[in-house]
Amino acid sequence: MKARYVPYLFLAPAVVLLLIFKVYPIALGLKNSLYAPGFIAGLDAFVGFDNYTGLFADHVFWHSVYVTLFFNVFVNPIQIGLAFGLALLLNARLKGIQAFRSVSFIPIAVSLPIACILWNIMLNPEQGVMNSILIGLGFSPQPFLTSKDQAIWIIILIATWKGVGYWAVFLLAGLQEVPQVLYEAASIDGAGKWDRFRDVTFPLMKRPLTFVTVADTVANFLLFAPMYILTKGGPENSTNVLMEESFNSAFVYSDPGRASAIVILLLILILLIIGLQFRLLRSKV
Amino acid sequence: MKGAASLTRSAICLVQIVTAFCILFPLLFAVVSSVRPLNDIYKYVSPVTWRTFFPTNVTFEAYIHLFAERNFGSVLFNTFYVALMTVLFGVLLGSMAAFAFAKFQFRGKHALFGLVLLTFMIPFEVIAIPLYGLVNQLGWIDTYYGIVVPAVANGLVIFLFRQFFLDLPDSLLESARMDGATWGRIYAWIVMPLSKPVTVSAALMLFISQWESFMWPLIVTRSKQYKVIQVAMSDFTTEHATIWNEMFAASVIAFIIPILLLLPLQRYFIQGVTHSGIKE
Repeated sequence: MKARYVPYLFLAPAVVLLLIFKVYPIALGLKNSLYAPGFIAGLDAFVGFDNYTGLFADHVFWHSVYVTLFFNVFVNPIQIGLAFGLALLLNARLKGIQAFRSVSFIPIAVSLPIACILWNIMLNPEQGVMNSILIGLGFSPQPFLTSKDQAIWIIILIATWKGVGYWAVFLLAGLQEVPQVLYEAASIDGAGKWDRFRDVTFPLMKRPLTFVTVADTVANFLLFAPMYILTKGGPENSTNVLMEESFNSAFVYSDPGRASAIVILLLILILLIIGLQFRLLRSKV
Repeated sequence: MKGAASLTRSAICLVQIVTAFCILFPLLFAVVSSVRPLNDIYKYVSPVTWRTFFPTNVTFEAYIHLFAERNFGSVLFNTFYVALMTVLFGVLLGSMAAFAFAKFQFRGKHALFGLVLLTFMIPFEVIAIPLYGLVNQLGWIDTYYGIVVPAVANGLVIFLFRQFFLDLPDSLLESARMDGATWGRIYAWIVMPLSKPVTVSAALMLFISQWESFMWPLIVTRSKQYKVIQVAMSDFTTEHATIWNEMFAASVIAFIIPILLLLPLQRYFIQGVTHSGIKE
């Protein structure tokens, strides 16, 4: 269509804001990671890759890398598996399924901070309702978030409660696009329920599954609110993921250089893992 | 054969009921606790009886106290104001940009669209710290601008609108051109009125993301005057950690509003979510 300048007028406001508030900060982050607080207040000194080499020699950083990987190795398969299970349940043709769908989507509307606060109260070791339920059922009370062995699992539990419904939406949409004819054809060929799942549902679900796997992994690598609200990275740094460490560097220890370097390394780590996931999920065809 | 089918049916039902219970339990527990008097909150927790899960002395003092003493009215006002401004400008700017991408051929189109895709793949947390420096230089710390403006241009919203606009027939726009309508008129009087479903899903996504945002408002506002609901909630864990009934009441308010919006508009939200998932 004609009028050459017209599309630019429509684009300009959004594109200018995207450049200022999304693209420029990425460049700024890269630049920050090469600077450290100088001797003169407000003047940062160029330090090259010192922030990065400093991190590589820092055992707090390596422990944080370990915690981040540990968290993700468990939280992602658990969430994706449960989301797939939930999507299959939501896809069942039963009376009242609409009500069950609505209930499953409710955690989408509950923010992560709220979810954290509510679970935190219920999981209070002395006064929480979870421990009294455990005692009522004849188990011994648990320390939950105050234990360095349990805290990370509690955060996995809360993140899963909040996230599964959201990821199930994508998978449910995928399931509903599987043509019913394929199932009928498979049944006529004598395929059982499991065969139909393996040979019809699963291959056709590959695309939504890949999307959910990658998007969920990114979200969980960047997860930060539960640690900030519940544990501040403790006890004994057992929940000190890289985002928490970066946030502390920037806003507690006033070292934006170190904070930015951590985020850049985290981004590289995420890109590597996503690349690996794409490769694995594709080669399975 | 029939017996087996009804058996799986009841098994599925059972799993669904258990799942629904796990999902709802923390929320119902919060609602129940929020209508108890402060002294009753932990009274019935242990040992577990029916009183643990049902309130006996129902009172709304926690809610009244939140608004009368803790200025929750202004917290709610801030959150609504910030969310609605983001929705208004986000939908306007996003749909305008999407209109250009969907209905025009111009130089640099692919590069610019690539840029849009890039920005919604870069997670906010990664740019939060440099963004703070930028907003600080603009003098927007502790202002509504600081919370709203960085959230207005949203790559996902542009993408959603573009997908929808691509399906609108070009002939419709061309005939309006023949009648002498300007592009601005065509956008405002023809394209947007035809795009109600996608507008609802984009608005809902922007509203919920702003309602739920925590890290950015935490960083960018310091004073009570601009406090939004998620930050006010996290104060309860640090500053007023023992006023449990109010904490429960505040969280009930914080989750009930988006739930009430989401449930009737579920269909649109799911459309929005799934469109964003189909990227190829």
